[in-house]
Amino acid sequence: MTHPVMPARNNEGFLENASDWSHEIASCIAADDNIELNKKHWEIIEFLRTFYKEHEMSPPSNRLFVKSVKEALGEERGNSIYLMQLFPGTPAKTACRIAGLPRPTNCL
Amino acid sequence: MSKSTLIVIDQPPYGAWAGREALDMAFSLAAFDQRVSLLFMGAGVNWLRKSQETSEIEQKSVEKNLSAAPVFGVEKLYADAAACDQYSLFPESMIAGVVITESSSELIRQHSHTAFAG
Amino acid sequence: MTHIHVLHILNKAPSHPRSVECLSALMPGDTLLLIENAVLAVASLNEYRAGIPVFALAPDVIARGLGECSENTTLVDFAAMVDLTAQAQQIISW
Repeated sequence: MTHPVMPARNNEGFLENASDWSHEIASCIAADDNIELNKKHWEIIEFLRTFYKEHEMSPPSNRLFVKSVKEALGEERGNSIYLMQLFPGTPAKTACRIAGLPRPTNCL
Repeated sequence: MSKSTLIVIDQPPYGAWAGREALDMAFSLAAFDQRVSLLFMGAGVNWLRKSQETSEIEQKSVEKNLSAAPVFGVEKLYADAAACDQYSLFPESMIAGVVITESSSELIRQHSHTAFAG
Repeated sequence: MTHIHVLHILNKAPSHPRSVECLSALMPGDTLLLIENAVLAVASLNEYRAGIPVFALAPDVIARGLGECSENTTLVDFAAMVDLTAQAQQIISW
């Protein structure tokens, strides 16, 4: 498999241009955090991209990320342990970075 | 009186940041499961108009941002009846789920803390 | 410790529409606290409703050279301002 050319990103690894995003790019960004994307990751990534289209914002904080996932996909996925395991570090930030969305505003 | 916060937006959307900051404040309270509602009065009711198209002014749509409020746990969106009249904002031209209030001053006194935007 | 029913915290200059709205919302038993640009009102205090205790944040009053004009107002420092908020059952930040 050939690696795609990584498009421009900011100092925190977020894409400079949202239109540069693709599934391959997402996998490359995830590799920075040693994450290999599986079905569970993709489900959350798709959710976040839909959320962004609908609300023109990323969930602004971890807590609101968890709340929105819970609202959309239920308690089994909408809890911080589940999301933390999929997207280590600051889940909202890590997940938005991989999903090609802007940095959540309130995530330090 | 049980603890609840009313965030009041009385400034028009776009052109200033105060309203967005107030929206952020409401979202943050909701994030920590604090009871919070939003009241739109004065020119602020224009936040609630349907079909805002902001691509030409290169700003995020407050209509779309606001639609995340129920998802995040903001309890109610209120609109001041007199202000809606003044800006010809009828129920059919308004986003879904808004409660019209005839008396904003009474509503303010029903909350333990009220904060105006900006 | 005295009890305040509603503490109105106003930070807008007297010409600001919100200032006008705040003043018309004052009811007996309420208390008014002026901060930031709202302290400009201490020079024209007769406009306020009788019977409403009025406080103003001293650093803001002094910064604007209004220390001499504030005879109808009780000046408070930051600590006293916090006490006022703690005494209030309800707070409205205008």
